[in-house]
Amino acid sequence: MCFWLFALVVSSFSPLSAASAVTEKYSAAERRHWAFQPRSNPPVPKIAGASNPIDAFLLARLQKEGLRFAPPASRLTLVRRVYFDLTGLPPSPAEIDAFLQDRSPKAWEKLIDRLLASPHYAERWAQHWLDVVRFAESDGFEYDAHRPNAWRYRDYVIDSFRTDKPYDQFLTEQLAGDEIDPDNPVLRTAAGFQRLGPLRKNAGNQEVASSRNEVLTEMTNLIGSGLLGVTLGCARCHDHKFDPIRQTDYYRIQAYFAAVHDKDLSLATPEQEKAYQEAKAAHEAELKRLRQTMEKLTGEEKGRMLQKIRNLEETPPEPPPAVFSVLNDMSKMSPIHVLARGDYQNKGPRVFPRPLGVLIPDNTPELPATTPNPRTQLAKWITDPSHPLTARVMVNRIWHYHFGQGIVRTPNDFGRMGTRPSHPELLDYLANEFVNQGWRMKPLHKMILMSQAYQQSSDSPLEALGHEKDPEVTLLWKFPRRRLDAEQIRDAMLSIAGRLNPKMGGPSVIVPVDQELVNLLYKPSQWAVTKDPSEHDRRSIYLLHKRNLRLPLMEVFDAPDLQLSCARRESSTHAPQALELLNGPFANEMARSLAARLDREAGASREKQVDLAFRLATGRLPNPKEKAAALAFLKTQPLREFALAILNLNAFLYVN
Amino acid sequence: MPEHVRLTKNRRDFLRDAFCGFGSLAFASLLAQEQARAGKLNPLAAKPPHFAPKARAVIFLFMAGGPSHIETFDPKPLLNQLHGQKRPAEFGEAKYQFVGADAKLLGTKRTFKKYGKCGMEVSDLLPNIATCVDDIALIRSCYGDMVVHSAAQYQLMTGRIIPGFPNMGSWLVYGLGAETDSLPAYVVMPDPDGALEAGQPMYTQGFLPAVYQPTMLRAGSKPILNLDLPPDVNYTTRKKTLDLIRELNQAGPNAESDEFFARMNAYDLAFRMQMEAPAVFDLKTESPQTLEMYGVGREPTDDYGRRCLLARRLVERGVRFVCVVSGGGPGNLQWDAHDDIEENHIRMAAQTDQPIAALLKDLKQRGLLESTLVLWGGEFGRSPEAQGGKGRDHHNLGFSMWLAGGGIKGGQIVGATDAIGLRAVENPVHFRDIHTTILHQLGLNQHALSYMHQGRRERLTEVEGHVIQQIV
Repeated sequence: MCFWLFALVVSSFSPLSAASAVTEKYSAAERRHWAFQPRSNPPVPKIAGASNPIDAFLLARLQKEGLRFAPPASRLTLVRRVYFDLTGLPPSPAEIDAFLQDRSPKAWEKLIDRLLASPHYAERWAQHWLDVVRFAESDGFEYDAHRPNAWRYRDYVIDSFRTDKPYDQFLTEQLAGDEIDPDNPVLRTAAGFQRLGPLRKNAGNQEVASSRNEVLTEMTNLIGSGLLGVTLGCARCHDHKFDPIRQTDYYRIQAYFAAVHDKDLSLATPEQEKAYQEAKAAHEAELKRLRQTMEKLTGEEKGRMLQKIRNLEETPPEPPPAVFSVLNDMSKMSPIHVLARGDYQNKGPRVFPRPLGVLIPDNTPELPATTPNPRTQLAKWITDPSHPLTARVMVNRIWHYHFGQGIVRTPNDFGRMGTRPSHPELLDYLANEFVNQGWRMKPLHKMILMSQAYQQSSDSPLEALGHEKDPEVTLLWKFPRRRLDAEQIRDAMLSIAGRLNPKMGGPSVIVPVDQELVNLLYKPSQWAVTKDPSEHDRRSIYLLHKRNLRLPLMEVFDAPDLQLSCARRESSTHAPQALELLNGPFANEMARSLAARLDREAGASREKQVDLAFRLATGRLPNPKEKAAALAFLKTQPLREFALAILNLNAFLYVN
Repeated sequence: MPEHVRLTKNRRDFLRDAFCGFGSLAFASLLAQEQARAGKLNPLAAKPPHFAPKARAVIFLFMAGGPSHIETFDPKPLLNQLHGQKRPAEFGEAKYQFVGADAKLLGTKRTFKKYGKCGMEVSDLLPNIATCVDDIALIRSCYGDMVVHSAAQYQLMTGRIIPGFPNMGSWLVYGLGAETDSLPAYVVMPDPDGALEAGQPMYTQGFLPAVYQPTMLRAGSKPILNLDLPPDVNYTTRKKTLDLIRELNQAGPNAESDEFFARMNAYDLAFRMQMEAPAVFDLKTESPQTLEMYGVGREPTDDYGRRCLLARRLVERGVRFVCVVSGGGPGNLQWDAHDDIEENHIRMAAQTDQPIAALLKDLKQRGLLESTLVLWGGEFGRSPEAQGGKGRDHHNLGFSMWLAGGGIKGGQIVGATDAIGLRAVENPVHFRDIHTTILHQLGLNQHALSYMHQGRRERLTEVEGHVIQQIV
């Protein structure tokens, strides 16, 4: 409170156009928090039998608890595990056999190399990044208007993973691609990152200042949670309660974005542009006519006409292709003030761009307001090889996706309220390797996948001791068994039903859903189902990510809500999941297709059909009890009901 | 239920059965352990509240679009005197979505009368609700922070003006679990006229696990998604499929693990829901008197009457939170009376007044009102100024909501707006205070009911709310 009074007094005397002196101090104690310390160079512990540094670090810790790794997983388990992990898809029986029959000592390594080179790897891992940046293709809020060109950002991310683009470059392009080259469509697509958040628009009196503030808030918060792994957003209304992040820090990061405005880059040919203008004029003329008609109506009739007008408003002619992006507009630069309680009307002192105070010397000045490419400066700071957070945060994310939990178990929060790393030296070791190998992800994946830790079984002979010492399996005394996530479930069902359309990239697909769900949209006509039905069978990453309508299958299996950055998906278990997989139209359609495939590929032999179904869905053959139960069932029941049961099995939905 | 259906036994029941002949002490300690495990096996298992609750269920009668306080519960004689004039400066500033600074005040055509022992004034739009005022605690001094629908709806439902945060229903189920295992714990009944501005995200569980998601009841004969078998499958067949799934899961590896056990449990719950839920939606078992009371089978009350009656039936069977929405689709089919406050509110009130009064009386006569908190209101009220001559714009600075039942002391009025209904001036009550009061009645503390999300201990009330002490 006192600080506020002081700051307000100061601001009234200081000239508003120049950077003011920085007065905040960060104590040695505040700077001492582990995540703000420079990365160490930890020696790899000398552990007998550990061939990989990762294993040495993990085993050193396990030994302290009297624990050890579980025995190696079977090769069958491994091949299914790594396919789902790297590609999000199950291995086909032929792919399983190829691996099982390759008895060379390099078989595992070759498999990893092959999968990392597969385009499906990029599709799978791009989704993880899309979770973090809360990618969606609609505005959210009441209009939830679609962003017809946002899919290009999704393809940009996939392509970046495919080519193993260095992470520092990947971030720089997203933070400042438009500053680097405003005419380069790829860089401009990357810069679309800055406008991925929900956007509130309203009719009537526009609260311009309020809306602008919301836009800047979205940009700022994501830098904290997504890139730096600190809860910067907590400092919007007041100094952070737990971490050494002042409110001024929050607004100084925001100041890097002061000149950012939405600006698409047109990709239209002159003909496309002309055709669009004509169609637009015709559409507007029709709207005008209906509005005039409405004037004469009253009551419910008027309401219905309004609905008709709305429907027409929602289906304007399709605009020509463009890149969904931003540009600096210095003439419309927002002066960034510290806002008391985050209220845009309650302005404190003006601030200018400057990195987080706790990570730089106290006397570091702010950048001048006229700095031409401020976000390039921000990107330079964030991607500096010695930045204590950036590499640690990304390495931890990658670890998290491989093992189901991070070395820091709160991937978006490396602050004091987050969990401390279970293996701080290992985290630093991996982050050093990551940076030293040019910020490339594929070598890091490979190092992790080559470890004993990754290749161990999900069943340990030390179960009792393990549960007592480390019930959450943070120390990795076995491989954590995991339920498939929402996209994996849908994609795997398509795959084993023989339906998956492997087409990559391009505009997003709208699949049919229950009409009642569409009616829950404020503008039901937005859900214009993609006409070509083969498109409906594409991977989930290519389905339209609409903020106000998520597919029930995705929703019940904990797909993120597309509103906030999602660092870690929940894995809940509840009755609507069972209803979805038993009665849902998608599950039943997949069961029909799977049954047809069993008929087609296994012939009339029930035994062969059962074997193939198990191989497709679980990677293995049925055990005698399973086989007996399945055959008994098939004596009286239809094959497609058996296929549906297969899609509901634990052995399908979980990866060991 | 057919006898060959063997539901996986809840381990707590198993212990209770197995130990009934033994010392109760050993049983109690085992039970405690098992309760912890039950939470793991079924995250919706009932959980103890933080302190003794007054209510166990909530029905939110959501008047979407923003009903006018001036036409319903907050008489303003001065407004009629000032009709056609600009707002006197002493009332201060207000920001509206549409009307500008030159708007003129609009008097009301409604007349008000005193009702009940308490003498609460209610307008002639709501003659039936008026007969329940002694059970109603009216809050005339509500305010919110946003004047546009979507953001205001988010704040009303989730405490935040942006999407991504859990609805109060999700919070309650997260805090208390479910009291039914054959019905969803949190149910929304949207208006069949269409959706609202804030869309699905205002009802959803936000960052909470999907188990706390709402079940949206749909119009027509299949109210719960995926509850019905696909058209070409019969029950006997599907029952065998379900048995096969159980058999295969048990024959597979790790069948005894907690997580797999929880999955089997979920299938059992789903099955029970499939068997028992459809009966809840069948109103034919209600007496003709009850149907008549709710206005079922007559226009304009049939639709909202059915949904209010269904709300009672759901609460009766242990559902925790039911939201019954009045209004949907374009503004004029909501309470969003921009064009003509008379036409709109007469129509909307006629659809809801009798069903709501019936719900209160019915709950009361069944002894359910004591344990069921009913909340009435919208995301804001309406402007004292006219929009386009006959309508009223959105207005978030002062408006009315009411609570009844669930230990709320009825027959009283909290707070007041100024003499033209512009601003809450006495005892202002924010949405977060309403939320805090609801939590309090259900035995939940606003601080203790939290969920760690991205480094913040998130709560329904974000910053501290206050229990409205006068009415609890």
